[in-house]
Amino acid sequence: MSTTQETKKSAKPKATRKKAAAKKPSASKKPVEKPTSVLIVGAGFAGLGMAIRLKQAGIEDFIILERDNAVGGTWRDNQYPGAACDIPSNLYSYSFAPNPNWSRSFSGSEEILDYVHHLVAEFSLEKHIRFEQNVAELRFNEAQGIWTATTDKGAIFTGRAAVMAQGPLANCSFPAITGIEDFKGKKIHSARWDHDYDFAGKNVAVVGTGASGIQIIPELVKVAKHVKVFQRTPGWVMPRPDFATPEWNKLLFRKLPASQQAMRELLYWSHESMALAVIWNSPLTRIAERIGKWHLRRQVKDRWLRRQLTPNFTIGCKRVLVSNDYYPALQKDNAKLITWPIARISEKGIRTVEGIEHQVDCIVFATGFDVSNAGTPFPVIGRHGQVMGEEWQGGAQAYKSINVSGYPNLFLTFGPNSGPGHNSALVYMESQLEYALKGIRKIVGEGLKVLDVRSDVQQRYNKGIQKRLAKTNWNSGCKSWYLTEDGFNATMYPGFATQYAAQMADFKEDDYETA
Amino acid sequence: MASIDLDKMLEKIKGTQWALSDIDWDAPGADLITEEQWPKLKEFMADLMWIEHVGARAFAALAKKAPTETLREIYTYFHAEEQRHANAEMALMRRWGMLDGDELPEPNVNLRIIIEWLDRFADEMPVYVLGTVVPMLEIALDGALCTFLLDTVKDPVCHQAFEKINDDESRHLGVGFTVMEMQGRSASYIKMVQMMARVMDPRLILGIASYMPLLNKMRDNVIAMGLPEEKLYKAMQKFERIGGRTEEGRRNPWFQLIKHHGRIMVNRRNKVYHVPVDALVKITGLVPRNALPAVPSWVKELTYEPTATR
Repeated sequence: MSTTQETKKSAKPKATRKKAAAKKPSASKKPVEKPTSVLIVGAGFAGLGMAIRLKQAGIEDFIILERDNAVGGTWRDNQYPGAACDIPSNLYSYSFAPNPNWSRSFSGSEEILDYVHHLVAEFSLEKHIRFEQNVAELRFNEAQGIWTATTDKGAIFTGRAAVMAQGPLANCSFPAITGIEDFKGKKIHSARWDHDYDFAGKNVAVVGTGASGIQIIPELVKVAKHVKVFQRTPGWVMPRPDFATPEWNKLLFRKLPASQQAMRELLYWSHESMALAVIWNSPLTRIAERIGKWHLRRQVKDRWLRRQLTPNFTIGCKRVLVSNDYYPALQKDNAKLITWPIARISEKGIRTVEGIEHQVDCIVFATGFDVSNAGTPFPVIGRHGQVMGEEWQGGAQAYKSINVSGYPNLFLTFGPNSGPGHNSALVYMESQLEYALKGIRKIVGEGLKVLDVRSDVQQRYNKGIQKRLAKTNWNSGCKSWYLTEDGFNATMYPGFATQYAAQMADFKEDDYETA
Repeated sequence: MASIDLDKMLEKIKGTQWALSDIDWDAPGADLITEEQWPKLKEFMADLMWIEHVGARAFAALAKKAPTETLREIYTYFHAEEQRHANAEMALMRRWGMLDGDELPEPNVNLRIIIEWLDRFADEMPVYVLGTVVPMLEIALDGALCTFLLDTVKDPVCHQAFEKINDDESRHLGVGFTVMEMQGRSASYIKMVQMMARVMDPRLILGIASYMPLLNKMRDNVIAMGLPEEKLYKAMQKFERIGGRTEEGRRNPWFQLIKHHGRIMVNRRNKVYHVPVDALVKITGLVPRNALPAVPSWVKELTYEPTATR
């Protein structure tokens, strides 16, 4: 629960936060280690990827601060049954660290986590990681040109540049349902799975039918006595072309790495083409919706159930789901889809508005994450003492998603408007890492104290982004975690991954103020 | 009654939820149902329960078509609330020994036809058609029938349940009339053109052909129960009174159409209307049950149990 509290902390009112930020010691305390070139926050895919690229560029003095005692971020946390990536493994891996041994086209979370561990071993990253160091504050000292990270244990780390790689899906979110604390049975969040809990013979409720929910449900239906699925909004579910990788394929990739690269290219461009259906409302959107409806009609024969599962929004507006076994699982004798609104949670179960208390032994919350659309997970204090989360109250914004004016030498991974709706997150991440590397090289190589994006450049960039976003499916009227309560989209990038990569490949020095 | 603030209404709806388990279905008073009352009441309750469900299905269609997110959510709640009313009425039937095991009460043929129509076509109907028909059905059938029930049944548990049901229904009507007024705000001739285009829709004609005999059939049932039919007509006039209280409401062509139909309906001397419609009731009454398609699976969601484990 501490993670949730962190998020709440970032949403505190202005005055409180300033006070809290002011109280924290920074330069007055003795750093536990001498200043490094780079401080990286988070040892998930982004943080480790940044570390690898730094090493490959010959920058060895960096530190990764990890709040947990293990690497892997989202993939360490999301170990629920059925957890898998929605992007083919050959694309959901780094191009600079290919893995020829993926067992399936869409690998499960354990295999992805193995890949992450393999990265740590392969690139000797362990010595750089400081585990159980939960950053409580990140503050810039302009005179010294140094970022100071203070952890909740009071430890202090300093670096000339900092990379915030804590991930957008780091903090799990419980829904605001009345009575959630009253429930006397077992409560499990998908991102904090309890592997010791035995579901055999249990009545289970699953709240949430998003990406995690539709992966968990088929697995629970296999073991639990009864599974009740509480759905608020049905999503678009597309068929999943999942298959086991034949041995000859692995051998080919091992012996001829170019063949794997070619496969990656093929996957990349096939996903790129999906942007035309998913991001913008086009004739291809209708085709994609037809495929989704065909999938539903083929797998669900009952008219009413089909109606309950038919989305009421343009495909792409919310995250597109992929599954072959979700619909069949819902139709098993021990499963039931419930679409009545939840009135409250009681001691024994979930009361829905049709007046019935659905009594269960366990409630699984597959309700996603606190995505920081308008805040940061800890106070980030810039060159004039300003706090990033406060500046973002009207909607988060950055330059090219990676730099924020007033916060020099700081690079964000998956910062504002960097989210993909159609392609691998790691493709976007690689572009971010390359861009950050260019900036870090300048800071370290040229001995810069300050590399700060100009605010006018940032404003112009965001004006353009919001103008482009207005024409996308994400902004077409549905509610999603991409948008803030006010409907502001600070999450997604309104274009092809190729466009994003092109903008990130172009590091314009004129856009920055240096000192 | 001025138009209501729908956002505040949604909050109110969320804050006033009740569950079947809030009522002690085994509390004393079940024996207050007289032997004479019992068989008629059984039929009456079955009809009432199915009318709730007709409303439920219409609200489900409205939720799909609602022009705003708030209304969509309100109708989603109303759909579930109508199901709750049907569940509560089933729980009363169970309490009074009117259900055998897990059997569902049988809807009459006219209700079955309207259920079939709703299931097939309601989602295709424009929001302003259902948005006007539903308040009429609620005020005429629900309103009149509930009043009659509370006048004749002494069981305190029945009164307790209907106090809650009526509270919900008053919110349904409040929203219903507000939406009717919202629909009357734009230029009426545009509405009229749109309406005429819709009237030509064969699905709607089929709906009207199911709606008219349903009302006459319910009138007959009400009379059979010993309720003066004037009470039903009074309730229907209430629709005209409340729906026509503002200029916007009066400008809604669907309100005008349904109001005029209501006037014709309550005029028993209008043979041009009643002879063919009563004939339709008779003809549909002859339809063998097994000739009707299988009930849609949403019908099977009904339960008298306050709790469920599977």
